Amino acid sequence: MTTITTSGLTKAFGSVTAVSNLTVELPTGVVGLVGANGAGKSTLIKMLLGLIPPTSGSATILGFDCLTDGLRIREVVGYMPESECLPLDVSATEFLVHMARMSGLPASTGRERAADTLRHVGLYEERYRPIGGYSTGMKQRVKLAQALVHDPKLVFLDEPTNGLDPAGRDDMLGLISRVSSDFGIAVVVTSHLLGELERIADHVVVIDGGVLQRSTSTADATQLSGALLVEVTDDADAVMARLRDLGASVAAGRTPGSFAVELTDESLPAAVVAIVAELGVGLVRLQRRRHHLSEIFETSGVTS
Amino acid sequence: MSTIELVGVSRWFGNVVAVNDVTMTIGPGVTGLLGPNGAGKSTLLGMMSGFLPPSSGTVTIDGIAVWRNPAMYKEIGLVPEAEAMFDSMTGEEFVLANARLHGLADPHSATVAALEKVEMLEAKARRIGTFSKGMKQRIKMATALVHEPKVLLLDEPFNGMDPRQRMHLLALLQQLGTDGHTVLFSSHILEEVEDIAGTIEVVVAGRQAASGDFRSIRRLMTERPHQYSLSSSDNRALAAAIISDGSADAVSLTAQGLDVQASDFGRFVHALPRIARDAQISLFDVTPADDSLESVFAYLVAR
Amino acid sequence: MTTPNTGLPNSGPPNDSVIHDIGFRHYDGPRLGRGWAFRSLLLETLRGAFGLGRPAKVKIMPWVLIGLFTVPAIVIVAVVILTGGQELPLTYTQYPIAMSLLVSLFLAGRAPYAVSRDLRDGIMPLYLSRPIKRQDYVYAKLLGLAIAVWIFIATPVTVLLIGALLAKFPVRDQLLGWLGGMLMAAVLALLITSIALTLASFTKRRGLGVAAVLATLVLLSGFVSVLVSVVTMQRSGSTGTYFAVLDPYLLVDGLSAAWLGVDPQNDFAQPDGALGTLVFTTALVVIVAGMVAILLRRFRKVGGV
Repeated sequence: MTTITTSGLTKAFGSVTAVSNLTVELPTGVVGLVGANGAGKSTLIKMLLGLIPPTSGSATILGFDCLTDGLRIREVVGYMPESECLPLDVSATEFLVHMARMSGLPASTGRERAADTLRHVGLYEERYRPIGGYSTGMKQRVKLAQALVHDPKLVFLDEPTNGLDPAGRDDMLGLISRVSSDFGIAVVVTSHLLGELERIADHVVVIDGGVLQRSTSTADATQLSGALLVEVTDDADAVMARLRDLGASVAAGRTPGSFAVELTDESLPAAVVAIVAELGVGLVRLQRRRHHLSEIFETSGVTS
Repeated sequence: MSTIELVGVSRWFGNVVAVNDVTMTIGPGVTGLLGPNGAGKSTLLGMMSGFLPPSSGTVTIDGIAVWRNPAMYKEIGLVPEAEAMFDSMTGEEFVLANARLHGLADPHSATVAALEKVEMLEAKARRIGTFSKGMKQRIKMATALVHEPKVLLLDEPFNGMDPRQRMHLLALLQQLGTDGHTVLFSSHILEEVEDIAGTIEVVVAGRQAASGDFRSIRRLMTERPHQYSLSSSDNRALAAAIISDGSADAVSLTAQGLDVQASDFGRFVHALPRIARDAQISLFDVTPADDSLESVFAYLVAR
Repeated sequence: MTTPNTGLPNSGPPNDSVIHDIGFRHYDGPRLGRGWAFRSLLLETLRGAFGLGRPAKVKIMPWVLIGLFTVPAIVIVAVVILTGGQELPLTYTQYPIAMSLLVSLFLAGRAPYAVSRDLRDGIMPLYLSRPIKRQDYVYAKLLGLAIAVWIFIATPVTVLLIGALLAKFPVRDQLLGWLGGMLMAAVLALLITSIALTLASFTKRRGLGVAAVLATLVLLSGFVSVLVSVVTMQRSGSTGTYFAVLDPYLLVDGLSAAWLGVDPQNDFAQPDGALGTLVFTTALVVIVAGMVAILLRRFRKVGGV
């Protein structure tokens, strides 16, 4: 199911073209938006929210026309900005109730949904304290909560893990996955970190200088490649030599004891195990290598 | 070659102890400085670059104290985390000013060289106020590189940069490390640190939690059994064989295959190929599940 | 009728235990749209002006000021009743002009709170991604704060009415006078709020905003009074009164005389004839429209999504 469709979408500010002839379809689930040049990303989001008109081309989001249905769109879409945007002298509860009402929820519904949403994002007693005293992780959760409180059909998350330490990033990524899988809300997340997107995105769109570079499912972009990664405790050279004797193409890896074997033959994994057992060497790793999203940037000549 | 040495260093701000009795040596090559938010990384970098004195202990580079020693600034390049910049200057003007302040013999060509390394030559004549976050970061890096220091200290240097810029600059840092510079960079993006850092220093709440190669650190964590994920042609049979072999502590069946816990890492990895061969089971996938920097870091923080 | 449940599977009729689903709830109810959002923002601004829904220390300033502003009215009323006076020494339209400093103080404190805070926090992307238009933000803030200022002024003016009725003054006259006072209070509130919000919208720092608004309103009053006096002395006729439009308080003072026929607080503010009335009224419209235009432009530029 498609959530967002653009057709020749273009936005120019004088001589600078922020978005150029963008034609893409975004499926439901978690879609990652990667790219160079910050101006393109925020301009695209503004157009999709119906806040600025395109110079040419069109876009629809959840069936609404971005040019004419801006208000309707903003009733059913949530947005989590990258920038600092929270008032520091009110509590998360108060802030969220206000945001709920501003999204069109009646008073009592707003209160209940605010309380529920804070629980879903993992804020408990701290919700009664002023936001100014929150850690970065807690503030990001409040930002996410205000994007979800009105039960949107789709949310834009702009660099949601910015400033978080590894544990915080882990939590936030898990939360984002849950938004899609458990809450049933379509997610469009922008990120510069391809590792994150490999982890949580179902689909990835790469835009550079406002121009579409790739639109692919993550599964397709991270398919198994034709290589086997092997790591042994010692005697790697002997193992590699034995494999070469069998006619396999073997390349040494970066870390000691690791190497890669080209999988020309389905019997090779078994051969590796047999050789390793025979030589009495320990097998640390036997893994099919996958392609990575970063390869899109290495080969397609994406420039910034 | 330059070596940064901290001996018994503490730094407090009133009652807040940001760095608590840290002794570490940072040598040539790339070292990653890791820790949760608020662990004291920025304070450590501040002391190493001469911005802060230690409250106790000594901070030296090649034996010479850094604090109040302007002669040392020539040897150090710092990319701080702070975002505020001189918005009205152009990128080139800013780097050039830094080059001049360092008293370089040929500030102009040094500026061009630095801008080229960070791929900011095209945008150099634009005002910094118009830059995106990634571009500001690259200008900061250029100012840290312009005087070709032996020591490079970077605090979250890639914040805001897109994937291609990150890859390019990671490669740059790696090259500098290989060339013998001492590069210390702090980052929360563990995949990147894993990629280029030979050694890591981990700080937790001001204390030094671990240092060295992260794989060796993992081996040292004997109280935590190693986790393995396996998949094979007959998972149940393999599970039974592993259990009866006795080299693993626990085996569980999952949708993908087997999860194995083994306290004796060496014994298990040697036993596994033999077990599979003897039971005539084909191994499809053998993956150490907690051997990554991410797992090691999580364990260190949780101690 | 029920057999005891031994806890073993299939051992008896189902008991009354249940696990509730407290996962994310979807919402299919009404979404009240732009009008409701506008109303919410307006009410929030209005309540915030009086510190309602905020911790106690934020309530101190506005309520102390209301107190200070109302006390003279109470005193006047008491004096009139006790001495058996026949009319209010300060009328419903004159009172706010006479006490303009306190009005300025109240506004100077609340305008930055309404607007500078939002700029400093960077909250605009969150509002703009909701079902309102950019101009709704400006109008909601303006009206919310203007209503607050109007309530502020209306309080002592209403006290005057109560006092007049207690002193058994002619009811019809007093009610008409009070209504006139309410009208001019609204006009004054709208005028000075639009000026104050515009000033406050240029800074993120609350302290600076307070100082700017206060300085502008107070200094303007002083400066314009002098200007009008000097011009009146130099040239005969009513040329001097036209300069009164530069001070919002004098402008409203003059308008109350021109529209309602009451005595202004300051005689030199009285506009001369139809032309004078036209000039004053036009000035009012131009200033308010101009301030609103600047505000709209200000919030079009600032921190979009």
